[in-house]
Parts: sequence; structure tokens; C-alpha cells
Amino acid sequence: MPHDGRKTWARLGYRHAIAFVLGVATTGTASAQLPVLRARALDATAAVKIFNPAGSIRLVGWDRDSIVVRGRVASGERFFFSGSANGVKLGIEDTATGADSRPSELVIYLPRASQISAKSASANITGTDVSGWFYSVTGSIRLAGSATTIEAETMDGNIDLNVGVPWVRARTGNGSLTLRRPVADADLATIAGALNVATASVRRGRFSSVTGDIRMVGAPPPDALLELSNHDGSVDLLLPRNAAGLFDLSTVGGTIENAFAGTRPAARDAMQNRALRVQLGFGGAHVTVRTFRGVIRLRSP
Amino acid sequence: MTDSRTRFDAHLSEEERHGLADDSLTPERRADVERHVADCADCAVDVARLHSLMTRLETRLKQRPDTPPAELDALWPGIRSRIERGKVVSLEAESPARRARSRARMAALMAGVAAAVVLAFTLGRRSRSLVDDVVIPGISTTPVVSIADSSRAYQEEVQALLEELELRRSMLRPATAATVDRDLRIIDGAIDELTDALAHDPNNPALRQLLAASYRQKRDLLKQVDNAS
Repeated sequence: MPHDGRKTWARLGYRHAIAFVLGVATTGTASAQLPVLRARALDATAAVKIFNPAGSIRLVGWDRDSIVVRGRVASGERFFFSGSANGVKLGIEDTATGADSRPSELVIYLPRASQISAKSASANITGTDVSGWFYSVTGSIRLAGSATTIEAETMDGNIDLNVGVPWVRARTGNGSLTLRRPVADADLATIAGALNVATASVRRGRFSSVTGDIRMVGAPPPDALLELSNHDGSVDLLLPRNAAGLFDLSTVGGTIENAFAGTRPAARDAMQNRALRVQLGFGGAHVTVRTFRGVIRLRSP
Repeated sequence: MTDSRTRFDAHLSEEERHGLADDSLTPERRADVERHVADCADCAVDVARLHSLMTRLETRLKQRPDTPPAELDALWPGIRSRIERGKVVSLEAESPARRARSRARMAALMAGVAAAVVLAFTLGRRSRSLVDDVVIPGISTTPVVSIADSSRAYQEEVQALLEELELRRSMLRPATAATVDRDLRIIDGAIDELTDALAHDPNNPALRQLLAASYRQKRDLLKQVDNAS
């Protein structure tokens, strides 16, 4: 009957409409991120472990005894948050299959004295006024503000340390590594990435690379003890005219360029060590530079 | 043996390593510590390194009280690495008596380290001429290589880490494994070149130090892999 036919079409249309709405909703959920908001009291010096494989981790140290986590978790990923006032673990669960995770974004406010252990696979890590260990496989790490200790490691990402800290250890493989603020004790290394020491106020420093170029700018403090070593990459020391200290420079197969005096070291045969010792001014700083093939440049602006 | 050390992953404390290296442990404790060292390659290597460092410093200062500061400066990386390692605080429960003994020994240790550093600086300042902008071509670098900068100290550790890497390789993401292999190739290339150069010029201290630096890079990379899996 025509009436029954209309009813049938109406039912079908209704079902299709519901299916369409559900479909849209499902599709929408699959591509969206779900908001997350957690908070709890936390001791000022509590340990905080964070893991987010992909996306971003942003850490902000504050002067409150609490932790607040905000952000957006990719659909299909599971957020976890557990612990007590002494310590907290939070983040995105790693996929059991080893497949790449979808990007989630976490912003974490936590006591500035808490000891952080933050890890990611590809997620970038940024932090202000936070201390601890920061690790990413391919993501970049940027830290600013002040801290008590910093240990930052990434295999392929860049590391940018604009942080006032007494002790820092950082290494990257292919990415660049930049230190911008004074540090008492620094141990920085890259494999192929550029290493830039944009502050000279390092009292004890070891800077090394295999093929990346190393650049240090500024006059070292009077009691500084610095060691720079490179295999293939160059080492550039850009010093002000009034820089002071003892500079021990040696290269096996490279050259030494010294802008502070017009002399070059006497070249011997290719396998002999070439070395130059330069005493500038009356400073007590001792800077040792060694390369295998990389050029050493002692320059002034 | 302390309870905490019965676990496979527990190691000797800094105090115990120094005590064994400088032969200052009580006979009972020494036996306990020696038992651990016999089973633990990590601690054995570290104790040997410490013993060697102490012996070398002592011998050099006895034979040549006027040891140039550069030679003492070369020991600084070793001293610093000890200090850095000391920053890790053990969380194991200790008796008040043991804590007191630990504090006393640590104070003595720190005083020793401080004395070595002060000595290095004092000698450095005393002997360094205050000449303005002096260029001295052809002076070879520090003739003494610190034990901590010796390639041999890293080689065993690197070998163990390489074996761990092979076990862990299946747990690494393919991209991570490729990155590790690429970085290892770069470092191994440098090590090969330095080893060849050392074969031609075995007494070149700069080559030895560069080789040690390359091994240190390799060790640190392999330790990073541990975190990546």
C-alpha cells in the first residue's frame, strides 16, 4: 500500500539519518583530541614522571604545592595519572604494538623544585623553571628560566638551553645544541649537530662533537677550565679583544687559525700533532681545544 | 653482605669503592665488598680505575712534587666524574651508626678531592707566567692522560652496552634503530681513524685523548638507547 510504502521509506530515512549522525560523530571523534584536566596536591620536591610519545609536553614550574595537568589527548590514546603527594606518574600510555602514537598535547604546571623525569618519542618538550631529566628520541627540547640541574638528551632533535642552572649535561645526535645562559658546570655533546656555546660564563665545561661544528662566544671567566674536542668538525672561539687566559690548541690533521697573533704553528708531517699555546692577558682561565681534522679558529670580532 | 646488595642490580656505594681502592676497609667489610666485586664487572672496573687514579696521583706527586699544573689539570675530568656520580643519592635505609661513618668518610673523601683541586689550581697559578699575548708554536698538549679519559676504561663498558643493544634492538622503533646505527657509524668511523693514527704515532697524547672522547661519545649514545626502548 502507498501508505505502508511511505512508512517504510520514512523508517529507512530515519535509520539512515541516525546512521549518518553516528557516522559523522564517530569520524569526528577519530580525528579529534579529547580535553584532559587533572590536579592534585604535590610536595614541593616531589618526583614527577611524565611520558608522552608524540605531540608536545609543556612544563611550567610554579610556586604552589600542587600539580595541574591540562591538554588534549588524541583519540585512541589513553591518558594515565597516578601517585601521591610524594610523587606522580602521568602521561600517555605507549602503544603495545610499537606503532606510532597519535599526537597529544600536555601542559603541566608543577612545583618548581620538583624533580622531573620527562620522556617522549617524537614529542617536543619545552619547560620553564623546571629541573630534572628530559629525554626525547626525535623531538626537540627547549628549557628556559632557572633550574637546579638539567640533563637533556635527544637523538635527533635540537636542544636549546636558555636556563640559568649550576649543572647541566646535554647531548644530541644530529640536532643542534645551544647553551645561552651562564652555567657553573656544563657537559655538552653532539655527534653531527652544531654545538653553540653562546655564553662564555661556564666555569667548568666539556664540549665535544664528532662531525658537528663547535662555536663558543665570549671571554671565559678567570677561573674557567674548559675542554673542547672534535673529530671532523671545526672549533671556533670568538673572543673579545680583552679576553684573558691560556689557550692550548692542538689538531692532528687540521689547521689552526689564530687572529690574536699573525703566526701559524709550524706544520710537520701529516701525522704529527700541530699545537699552539696562546696566553692572552692575565687571566687564569685554561681552555684546551683538540681536533683530529677540524679547523681550530681563535677569532676576535 | 648488605641486604640491598643481594639484588642483582645493586652496586657498591661510592664509599665502599673508595674503601676498597685505598685499602681502608675493615677486614670483615673488605671480604664482603670483595665478594661483590668478584661478581660485578661494573664495580670491579670502577674500583680498578679508582685504584689506578690514586696510585698514579700519589706516585707522581712523590716523584715530582713540582708536577706541572697541566698534568694535574688532566686529572680533573676523573675527579669531576666522581663528584658528579656522587650527586646520586642512595635511598636505601641506613642505621644511624652507618650514616655517621658514611658522613665521616664522605667528608674525608671530599676534603681529599678539594685538596687535589686546590693543589692543581695553586700550582697552576704559581707557574703560569703572566705574559701578555704570548704565542708558543709547537708545544705538545698534556703528556699525562687521566685514567677517566683512557679509552680502555670505556671499551669494556661499550662492549657490554653493545651486547645489550643487540638484545634490545627488537624493542626499538625502526626509525630509532636506524638513527642509532647512523650515529654509531659516524663514531666508529672516528674511532677507526684515530686508532690508525695512533698506530703510526703511539705516543701522541692528543690522539689518545681524542680516542677516549670518541669512546665516551659511543658509550653515551649506547646508554641513550636504553632510554629509547
